[in-house]
Amino acid sequence: MDNILSVLIFFPAVAGLLGFVVDKSSARVYGISVATVELLLAIWLWMSFDGTNAGMQFVELIPLVPDFGINYYVGVDGISLFIVIMAALMTLLGMIGMNIEKDVKNMIISLLFLEMTMIGVFVALDAIVFYLFWELSLVPMLYIIGAWGGPRRIYASIKFFLYTFTGSLIMLVGMLFIAYLYYSVSGVWSFSITDWYALVLPVNYQIWLFMAFFAGFAIKVPMFPFHTWLPYAHGQAPTIGSVILAAVLLKMGTYGFIRFSLPLFPDASVMMIPFMTVLAVIMIIYTAMVAYAQEDMKQVIAYSSVSHMGVIVLGTFAMNAEGISGSVFLMLSHGIVSGALFMLVGVIYDRRHTKEMSEFGGLAAVMPKYAVIFGIMLMASVGLPLTIGFVGEFLVLLGFYQVSPVATVLAGTTIIIGAMYMLRLFKRTFFGPITNEANRNLPDLNAREMTALVPLVIIVVWLGVYPKPVLAPIDTSVKALLNFMEEKAQTPEAKETIILSKQTKEAE
Amino acid sequence: MIGLSHYLILSGLLFAIGFVGVIRRRNLLMLFFATEIMLNSANIAFAAASYYYHDLTGQMFAFFIIAVAASEVAVGLGLLIVLYKKFGTLDLDDLASMKG
Amino acid sequence: MEKFVYIALFAPLVSSLFAALFGMSPKKTFVGVIASLLLATSFVASAILAAYVVQTGHGIHVTMMDWISAGDLAIPFGFVVDHVSVTMMVVVTLVSTVVHIYSIGYMDHDKSFNRFFSYLSAFVFSMLVLVMSDNFAGLFIGWEGVGVCSWLLIGFWYHKKDESPEVNPSISPSWAANEAFIVNRIADLAMLVGIFVLYWNTGSLQYDVVFAALPYLDESVLTLAAIALFIGAMGKSAQFPLHTWLTDAMEGPTPVSALIHAATMVTAGVFLVIRANPLYSMPEVSEVSFFIAALGTFVAFFAASMALVNRDLKRIIAYSTLSQLGYMFAAAGLGAYWIALFHLAAHAFFKALLFLGAGNVMHAMHDELDIFKMGGLKKVMRGTYLYMGIASIALAGIPPLAGFFSKDAIIETAFNEGTLFLWAMLVVTAGMTAFYSFRQVFLTFDGDERYKEFDIHPHEMYKFVLVAMSPLALLAIIAGFFQGAFQEFVTSSPLMPDYVMSEHTHHLAIYLGILVLIFAVGGIVLAWKKYGNGLKRDEKCENSFIYQLLKNQYYIPQFYAEFISKPYYLLSHIMWKSVDMKIIDASVDAIAYLFFKGGDQTRKMQTGNLSNYLNWMAVGLVLMLLVAAVTALIA
Repeated sequence: MDNILSVLIFFPAVAGLLGFVVDKSSARVYGISVATVELLLAIWLWMSFDGTNAGMQFVELIPLVPDFGINYYVGVDGISLFIVIMAALMTLLGMIGMNIEKDVKNMIISLLFLEMTMIGVFVALDAIVFYLFWELSLVPMLYIIGAWGGPRRIYASIKFFLYTFTGSLIMLVGMLFIAYLYYSVSGVWSFSITDWYALVLPVNYQIWLFMAFFAGFAIKVPMFPFHTWLPYAHGQAPTIGSVILAAVLLKMGTYGFIRFSLPLFPDASVMMIPFMTVLAVIMIIYTAMVAYAQEDMKQVIAYSSVSHMGVIVLGTFAMNAEGISGSVFLMLSHGIVSGALFMLVGVIYDRRHTKEMSEFGGLAAVMPKYAVIFGIMLMASVGLPLTIGFVGEFLVLLGFYQVSPVATVLAGTTIIIGAMYMLRLFKRTFFGPITNEANRNLPDLNAREMTALVPLVIIVVWLGVYPKPVLAPIDTSVKALLNFMEEKAQTPEAKETIILSKQTKEAE
Repeated sequence: MIGLSHYLILSGLLFAIGFVGVIRRRNLLMLFFATEIMLNSANIAFAAASYYYHDLTGQMFAFFIIAVAASEVAVGLGLLIVLYKKFGTLDLDDLASMKG
Repeated sequence: MEKFVYIALFAPLVSSLFAALFGMSPKKTFVGVIASLLLATSFVASAILAAYVVQTGHGIHVTMMDWISAGDLAIPFGFVVDHVSVTMMVVVTLVSTVVHIYSIGYMDHDKSFNRFFSYLSAFVFSMLVLVMSDNFAGLFIGWEGVGVCSWLLIGFWYHKKDESPEVNPSISPSWAANEAFIVNRIADLAMLVGIFVLYWNTGSLQYDVVFAALPYLDESVLTLAAIALFIGAMGKSAQFPLHTWLTDAMEGPTPVSALIHAATMVTAGVFLVIRANPLYSMPEVSEVSFFIAALGTFVAFFAASMALVNRDLKRIIAYSTLSQLGYMFAAAGLGAYWIALFHLAAHAFFKALLFLGAGNVMHAMHDELDIFKMGGLKKVMRGTYLYMGIASIALAGIPPLAGFFSKDAIIETAFNEGTLFLWAMLVVTAGMTAFYSFRQVFLTFDGDERYKEFDIHPHEMYKFVLVAMSPLALLAIIAGFFQGAFQEFVTSSPLMPDYVMSEHTHHLAIYLGILVLIFAVGGIVLAWKKYGNGLKRDEKCENSFIYQLLKNQYYIPQFYAEFISKPYYLLSHIMWKSVDMKIIDASVDAIAYLFFKGGDQTRKMQTGNLSNYLNWMAVGLVLMLLVAAVTALIA
């Protein structure tokens, strides 16, 4: 199967179209079967992926607009492979765990389209194709928030759409400018990222372009101070929307930094390290504090997402394999863990139709299975060793220590303040006596919810104990990326930073 | 001797008359007339320039404009009749259904 | 031999998972029995390994599999069984086995019996990972693992509600659990920094590689690593100023206090310093080492002073644990690592015994912990009285029990190093230790039977529980005699420097010992005079400033609550309500509003009147012509 990637992208879309003719009552089963097949395909992709090869694999190239060098050009490497698998996995588990009565069919179709765009973004190697999928992903999400959301869903969905859309338009301008520069240097148009990699840009252009891409990525991540759309989106979105948003859509931003910013603008990236560090550190500490003050469970998780994304951004700019591999791994672990946490909040919301922590207390006695799974996810979220959360966080902090010890210590406070808001949430919800009579007879997790959550628990433990199958391909590609950046960097300062940041002082 | 500038001044005057008509008139039919005046002022300028520069392109353009103007009037008048039938007036101040 | 390493390590994990299978079902005694058997298996395997290490003189090093490898970093799951770790393994598994058996009786009536065993065994597994790991990252796994188990176990009775600090200084089990976890996390951050420093300067996290590279490192690097790792140790071992969590941790079931908050987990910090002794022995970091010794001495004194006036049985023992940890750090900081390890082991035995005894008392008194409400219990609880007496004598440092030998060695070390101020403090603390230990024994077991006023009918613990405690009692009595053998065994390891007293100290040793003994006996006599014949409250003394200061733990918990927790919450609230909502989000909305308003205003241009449009068009045309003309003129 040479065109496995195209199958992965378009199978859910075609299945989604066919979904219009499926009977309403069987829409859910249909959706789950499609997502299962998609996940199996993604796993097949992983199995046939060569982990020792750092380059792009399963490449497909079909010219679309040859005159302007726009091609349908896709491929995966170690960095994108696992995000693709995670997107397929979270879509499937989200569908299984979904508890929606209204318009199930429309929801399933939206999710399948969303899956297409998510996978498309991560495998696209042509800037225009990337941009198309990037923007297309907004549409199903807009619909999901706007149609199934809470009372302020219209405000939240419009804000989400316009905010991220504005950012990506600036990114589009940047893309067009690179294409133009490429044309003026080589005489042919090309939008393929691999062609652009070869392009050596003047440093002042790099800075402007870096900022243009930054606008698109930073809003998507979302980085401080562009994060305020996220609490609204999460607050109003239905559970499934939050799961996909937190698990996959946010990763587009950080993935963009690694796929575009670092290799295209190595000098600018190095120059921007202080700027990005300051933003990331503010993001980590500030949003963790805001999370601590929240009264709504879902908002705590939403703000904690921002805080953890800060760690990912920090790792991206560590300029060493430890940091960047850690950052990519943390994207996966954050996807799994925050997705699971949103599902868990959804479970209690389904039962009580409230997410206020003050409404609960003593749930551990009423819903022990729920408490156990929540506890495991909580521990993964605060980065306990032997859970998935630790590996990435440890590597990121370790990697960034070489760049800036002070920033690392400040960012490292995430392990303290992260524990503070999560434990506060857990204590108020699960511990103490049962104060609210409405909670006394809540049913524990049912089979459907267990089916959605238990695989995540297994992954959390498995990749915490043995991350190698995932970490090794990531590491191979990241090392190649760093070597490439080192070669391509023009200013001596940038070259030196990249070399220094990956050097340990071995004993003589 | 009548030179090119005289034609152009005439053309300019006609254009100004048509322009003021377009701006000031309230009746759609009158607007049409004003537009026609403006088009024909352009025709005069084209024909005169064509004659003085010995280049037939200008005259060709004049014919082209006449053709366009004719078809425009045909369609436009048809629309006016429909409008009049629908609203009973051609006064612009009463035809503000596109108010934002 | 490798298989014994894995048996010792994984038997507790199996036990934990097995108990977890029944975690949500009602009490099943066989869960406790099987867990205890598996722990005993682990103990036997550890003992076999110990015998092996004694015989062959070298350790066992196994690498199970890779854990994390990225960039140049490669962390395996590797385990090393050498002189130091095998000592810890034997101590940990022995105390754990006893505590497991004890818990079968103690948790008899608890509905979460099975869950308890799952947590307890998970703790033992984490602790074994901590002591057996061959690299700093593996140590950190265990380090955090014991932290989580401690969180689970302190908060075991999670259903209790929050009380005000006046009613219950620990507020609630779940509150105490969170406090312990978060305070430990603060220290863990420092520990991570230490790990990062070592990695980036030596290129590895394996103990052997790191220690081999130490002589080539700069002074600043060594100092930073030493300080950072020690701060990590301070958190786990509850040294000032991170000590408040340990007394609050007494909210957990008593077997937990015995195992985790006395015998094993809290000694992890001491273990880390001992394990990293090549680092702390470097001449470049002698100041850090001295600071460790000074802080240890201070904590020994500081904690003992708070124990003098406390009325809560478990809290008194918790303070004494703190104080004894201070002793261990004093020894380790002064370079006497084997003495620290020896005191660690001896302390584990008698402190676990003391706590388990306290558990019996608690069981008998229906969870009443105020020693002012006890008294005369020796009539109904002979066995427990005996055990707690032995443990207290050992703790007070009366020969020939274990505490005398190990503590005396530490005090002697302080003298030998010429740090006379530390020595004097430690001697005084020894006297205080004796006083508060026996104050507690006398108030609990001797004198008038004050409990009768509260309608409590105490009864002795189950027989098998008392039998299970006997190994600890035996070891608390005899462990001291093995001091010489222990020294010889541990210091035969290449990683463990020997420490011998100078000739001068050696001559004075007998007088020094007698001096310490005088203080200890003095403390006991004082306690007898004050409390031996029942409780006589002294209003004047109890209202004095110093008494109140000690009773309120120097007002440190209040200080933390007022100046750290509350401001943090307030600041978070301001960050959310004012900064996030009013500034950042408001400016985003303001931009959107600007566009909206702009559109709304300009909308008025759309009158729908064609002639207006034509006017606008004309204006636009003129403007464009003007622009064209101007640009043409300029060009």
